[in-house]
Amino acid sequence: MHKHPHFNPQRRQMMGAALGAGALGAMSSLSFAAGGNGSGKRFVFVVLRGGLDGLSAAPAVGDPEFAAARGPLAQFGSAPLTLDATFALHPSLAQLHTLYAAGELAVVHAVGLPYRERSHFDAQQVLESGGVRPYELTTGWLGRALAPSAAKSLALNTAVPLVLRGPGVVDTWAPSALPDPSADLVARLERMYGNDAALATALQRAKTLHFDGAMPGDMNAMDTKAMSIAGRGGNFTLLAQRAAEFLAQPNGPQAAVLELGGFDSHANQANPNGALSNTLRQLDAGLAALREGLLASGTWSRTVVVVATEFGREVAVNGTLGTDHGTGGAAFVLGGAVKGGRVIADWPGLAKRERFEGRDLRITTDLRAVLRGVLADHLQVATRSLNTDVFPGSETVKPLGLLKA
Amino acid sequence: MANPSSLQAAIAAHRFGLGEPSLEAIAPDPQQWLLAQIGPADAPRGDGLLSTAQALEHVAAEREKRQLAKNPPAGMTAEQVLAGHYRDVIVADARSRLLTAATTTRPFAERLQLFWANHFTVSLAKGATRGLVGAFERDAIRPNIAGSFETLLVASTTHPAMLRYLDNVQSAGPRSRIVARAARRAERSGEGPRITGLNENLAREVLELHTLGAESARGANGSYTQADVTAFARVLTGWRVGLQSTDPGDAFDANWHEPGAKTVLGKVYAEGPDALRRVLHDLAFHPATANFIATKIARHFVADIPPPALVDRLAQTYLRNDTRLAPVYQELVRSPEAWMPQPMKLKTPEEFVLSATRVLRFNPRLFERGDNAIGIGALGQRIQAAPSPAGWSDRAEDWLGPDAVWKRIEWSTRTANRVGGSVDARALAAQSLGPLLSLETKTQIERAADGPQALALLLMAPEFQRR
Repeated sequence: MHKHPHFNPQRRQMMGAALGAGALGAMSSLSFAAGGNGSGKRFVFVVLRGGLDGLSAAPAVGDPEFAAARGPLAQFGSAPLTLDATFALHPSLAQLHTLYAAGELAVVHAVGLPYRERSHFDAQQVLESGGVRPYELTTGWLGRALAPSAAKSLALNTAVPLVLRGPGVVDTWAPSALPDPSADLVARLERMYGNDAALATALQRAKTLHFDGAMPGDMNAMDTKAMSIAGRGGNFTLLAQRAAEFLAQPNGPQAAVLELGGFDSHANQANPNGALSNTLRQLDAGLAALREGLLASGTWSRTVVVVATEFGREVAVNGTLGTDHGTGGAAFVLGGAVKGGRVIADWPGLAKRERFEGRDLRITTDLRAVLRGVLADHLQVATRSLNTDVFPGSETVKPLGLLKA
Repeated sequence: MANPSSLQAAIAAHRFGLGEPSLEAIAPDPQQWLLAQIGPADAPRGDGLLSTAQALEHVAAEREKRQLAKNPPAGMTAEQVLAGHYRDVIVADARSRLLTAATTTRPFAERLQLFWANHFTVSLAKGATRGLVGAFERDAIRPNIAGSFETLLVASTTHPAMLRYLDNVQSAGPRSRIVARAARRAERSGEGPRITGLNENLAREVLELHTLGAESARGANGSYTQADVTAFARVLTGWRVGLQSTDPGDAFDANWHEPGAKTVLGKVYAEGPDALRRVLHDLAFHPATANFIATKIARHFVADIPPPALVDRLAQTYLRNDTRLAPVYQELVRSPEAWMPQPMKLKTPEEFVLSATRVLRFNPRLFERGDNAIGIGALGQRIQAAPSPAGWSDRAEDWLGPDAVWKRIEWSTRTANRVGGSVDARALAAQSLGPLLSLETKTQIERAADGPQALALLLMAPEFQRR
């Protein structure tokens, strides 16, 4: 059996360790001592599903039109956290605010996709496929970007999200409440899958992730614990912690994808204890946990995280103290390798005449400028590959410089 | 080599049904076995099932309980007041869905019910629907799966669970009486008005996910625009079952309705509650809807990328029969494309677990340790809790990640540990798969180390995972 002594997502005794910082530190230093593969660069893409309201996450409080344009949504439970003269962060994003102050977080605003309609499902397809129109591409931009270097990637999910689909190797991991199969059963299944390539491939990948040395301890108890954490809404933090463990391994994946849903804030979105505030708190806690998990091994300094959503929302409040689907929004770029402490925006303003179709924040920065910049500068993806394979049709999109010199 | 009718029986059992422990009853006439099942879904089985009216009453009572928990009566903690909050209803709903599908003698009808419940997703993932999802499936979907699509669409769109799930209960006409009243009240109190206007959520998803399909909005010849979404949202105003209301028949409140005529897809609809039924009628009869529904049905039963000729025929049948669905199902069953021996579909986790439960004749040991949903949630498809209004994916690629396949193996291991000692997997493989059973699978099952391992191999066999 092929073994990966350091990259071993399912070695379940680590589940318990993931919940305590001590063991995590020990493991990370082990990884560090073993050295890295290639550049050791790490990239994390966080997909926020449902359409994050950029003007709630990063309100333009200094825009003279802000209060009038947003009405009741200009009010927050506590004061927004100041970024610069114009922008602030939602009060639920306190740890991101600290990262901003430390120069590790950049906010990109009035950003969006080439897609201008307002369907979640089409917009997510464009966000993940990297195409211009929905369904013109059937694989993901990150999957294609990693293909030439054959770099490994990991989705913290049972299913492979579209963004990672492509020719390369994708591992998936999610906590389990079920018992492990025996190695003998798996070997027999392998023989049985001789004529089913898809099942054979999935099993082969899963096996190398799961069977790696002994799995001592009370695995079920730990999994149950993980599940109960997931049930309390701490799932994203747990997944971020696990992502950090894998990424910190020298043999680990170069890229990881995390997903967080619940941003479709059609109603009562200003409520400080409401769904949007809570989901933003989860995002904040998860990103902080990711950083924490990557710091000790020194991986954080080689990491870039991009947080993006399928679209922003209408500027004006709707009839239910929420917002309906829009276009322009906000994205976050963070990491030890990021030149942060700045808001990057060609700010279009919030006056009605400046809005896209009179209703949405106008997109002035193409999200692909962010992604092209990170892929080129951080993962050394060649421009030609970016133009033709990764983001076809994006030749004229000028990449943003987001990294430290 | 097997005779053709036993191959057809195996295909009927797995591709159109939910698996059978024996193909004997199907073999004489597999097509007829399916055609005879077309009709309303079985009455739901199980205990503790609430009608929509009862479910609304229960939700109202739970809301009161939550208020009470803020100031618990002497001698009680908030936790005690809230004990069992919604849980009994959610468990009963999930268990009934499973029990009905696992024990029905009309599995094709049950597959159609599961298909439509997914098409018209109402999900527990949103708190506003808690306690109502089961009632929605039982009252809006089950009786209507073989009637007209128009009837199904109206039942879904006006059901309290859908009106809450997609926020229509809160959507008010900007010039409605309720908004004017809220504005006056706000002026007196000095606070911002609580109700001010539209919420487009339901309007958009009915167009995009339930009728025309997103594809029809794309490109230069798009069949609907943002203006249509907004106008349809105006039509929908007033269709609400208030959070305090317990009467599902009283779903329209004129005070919330936007006055005046509205233009949707180029057609003018007069003010009032009847406009919604007219718009839904026109949407149901729209060629884009026919194509969208035909594509989804063909994708569900035949292949992730369905044969275009089949889709065309289903769409034509749908339009020719005034959106009646029974003729569409009949056309599907009679189509040669649907009987190709090579399985093109991967079972979803729920279909996989249901078919395993059926071939194991609903063995009670599957439900050890109070495991009501027998682990479907652990396979990534929590019952009645799809992650978005688009429902669960109907494509293999979304269920074939390494972790997803691994979890199926884990689930099969656990199931085999529970019941494998008392099942002859070799006989069961032959009886349930018939000519679909491959030599490789048969050999592996025969060579298994013990009964549980043989059963795990059967459950994880390609011909059991696919359909």
